[in-house]
Amino acid sequence: MGNIYHDKKLQWLAYAVFFAAIGIVPLFVGDAFLLNQLATYGIYAMLALSISLCWGFGGILNLGQGISFGLGAYGMAMTMQMQTQTDSNPIPPFMLNNSLEHLPWFWEPFSSTAGGLIFAVAVPTFFCAVFGSIMFRARVSGVFFTIMTLAMLSAFYTIILDQQAYTGGANGLTPPASLQIGSFEIDPYSATAYWIVFALLCVATVLAKLLTQSSFGLVTQAIRDDAERVRFLGYNVAGYETAIYTISGMIAAIAGCCWVMLVQYVSPAQLDVSLSLSMVIWAAIGGRNSLLWAMIGAFLIQGGQSYLGDQFLSTWLLLLGGFFIVVVRFLPNGLASLAEAGLGWLSARLPSKSGRAIESVTAEEGA
Amino acid sequence: MSGLLEIQHLSKSFDTVQVINDFSMEVTEGTICCLVGPNGAGKTTTIDLITGRVKPTSGKILFAGNDITGQDEHVTARAGIGRKFQVPAVLRDMTVRQNLEVAYSRQTNPFTNLFTFHPSGLKQKFDEIATLAGLTHRLEEFAGNLSHGETQWLEIGMVLMQEPRLLLMDEPIAGMTEAEIEKTTSIFKDLRKSATLVVVEHDMGFVREIADVVTVMHMGSLLAQGDIAAIEADARVRDVYLGEEEEAA
Repeated sequence: MGNIYHDKKLQWLAYAVFFAAIGIVPLFVGDAFLLNQLATYGIYAMLALSISLCWGFGGILNLGQGISFGLGAYGMAMTMQMQTQTDSNPIPPFMLNNSLEHLPWFWEPFSSTAGGLIFAVAVPTFFCAVFGSIMFRARVSGVFFTIMTLAMLSAFYTIILDQQAYTGGANGLTPPASLQIGSFEIDPYSATAYWIVFALLCVATVLAKLLTQSSFGLVTQAIRDDAERVRFLGYNVAGYETAIYTISGMIAAIAGCCWVMLVQYVSPAQLDVSLSLSMVIWAAIGGRNSLLWAMIGAFLIQGGQSYLGDQFLSTWLLLLGGFFIVVVRFLPNGLASLAEAGLGWLSARLPSKSGRAIESVTAEEGA
Repeated sequence: MSGLLEIQHLSKSFDTVQVINDFSMEVTEGTICCLVGPNGAGKTTTIDLITGRVKPTSGKILFAGNDITGQDEHVTARAGIGRKFQVPAVLRDMTVRQNLEVAYSRQTNPFTNLFTFHPSGLKQKFDEIATLAGLTHRLEEFAGNLSHGETQWLEIGMVLMQEPRLLLMDEPIAGMTEAEIEKTTSIFKDLRKSATLVVVEHDMGFVREIADVVTVMHMGSLLAQGDIAAIEADARVRDVYLGEEEEAA
């Protein structure tokens, strides 16, 4: 009680500090390659955010977030690929190699940049809405839903790998030029690209945070706690579950679009099980019940992988595994619980400063 | 006054076991009806059938004149049926405050709720119910840390936050102290002014205090119905239920 970790105003302050810190990065990083790499961290953060929303707040463990991420990425890659096609050369080269003579119908919408971008996000979102609605209405929940997401992920992976003529197969898609919006070209190694990812992450986080504080967020947390009980309060549990699963999927789809904007490449690897598992591990280690800590978890793990991974090579996976076991065993709510405990200790010792805010809260309750 | 709740020839079997067998009852608006009977008589199953947790094999359930047979839980809840569970079911990982707030379910649409931060009328209702349930000093406590009696009160509070027309209370006083039972008795009598109650209870002393009508179930069927004096005088009831209880005591 009275832990400043739970103070909503201070939480917003923490988010502001976090975004200010990652927002000024381009001012200090001159190396374009490094800046591009740091921008991809923003994408990992977006994915961790989406997992935290779905799993931490909605109680739905999704091991198939790669579906939304991958479909979003493919949509963006298709859009960028079509931007380089001309009237005299209307079909991507890999299709010609697979002796396709006409552009497949589902590539058509991606001929226009606006249409392509809309479809890149809308298709995975629509998939989540339909798949979620079918599953949750049938009251598939818990580990059974998780298994279904894993199965769906494998199915998508196989289809994309198999349909080489339409998807590029194992080679994936490698759009030859950067994304163009109107006459403006977004150089993936520029600060602009970083800012775009940063801005989208910022907006997604603020909206997600507001969502968790709304009546909707309260109901989803209640469902996480005891779905059966919530039904008897008059809430359609399936509707809420579908909604949070879909919103989470939409964030992952946007992350997928950003990914291809930055790396100009997509392959079935983006739908590989290991990536979707990684997303869950980021959120678990950071703390799935906190949007902020889930994102920090992504930074720590991916940062560790980039820098320590190079030094330790394959031993890195062992280290990561060991670290994961330690966190799950001793900090079931991730590193966030360290922060919670630390701030709890601090608020107990700071009666003069933080106590005032808490007193005013308790006074309100007493009234 | 006609029946707020009418159960007509309700039957339910799980595989080959007939749990509810041609059971009919009617609950008059503004009364407290106590549902009693020996263990396994089908009391909780009847509550399950009314709220839609379990779908009947045959028969009909009317609530305020509308057929609600086989509707889902959230539909019956929205129609105005509130339920307190036998094993107190509160949201243990949430605070008492959050439990009461989430139970205030005027608006159930997920999309509207995405944009709702302060539901209208919540504050007033919240203060009223928190005071009634005696939980004003425990609001920031996690529900999982409450004592058994407090948990019972919290769940009763949650049901009241829903402002239902019909309250189904499954063993509301189990585990309560004498003083708490007394308080429950007076609150239930108060509730009768604005709502209708069906109370499943074993404690005949409590039933005697609050019941307008007592319905006795036995082996999934209606055994007897009437006021408490008539029920206690009924030879069949003494045989299957009350006698049994006296022997046990």
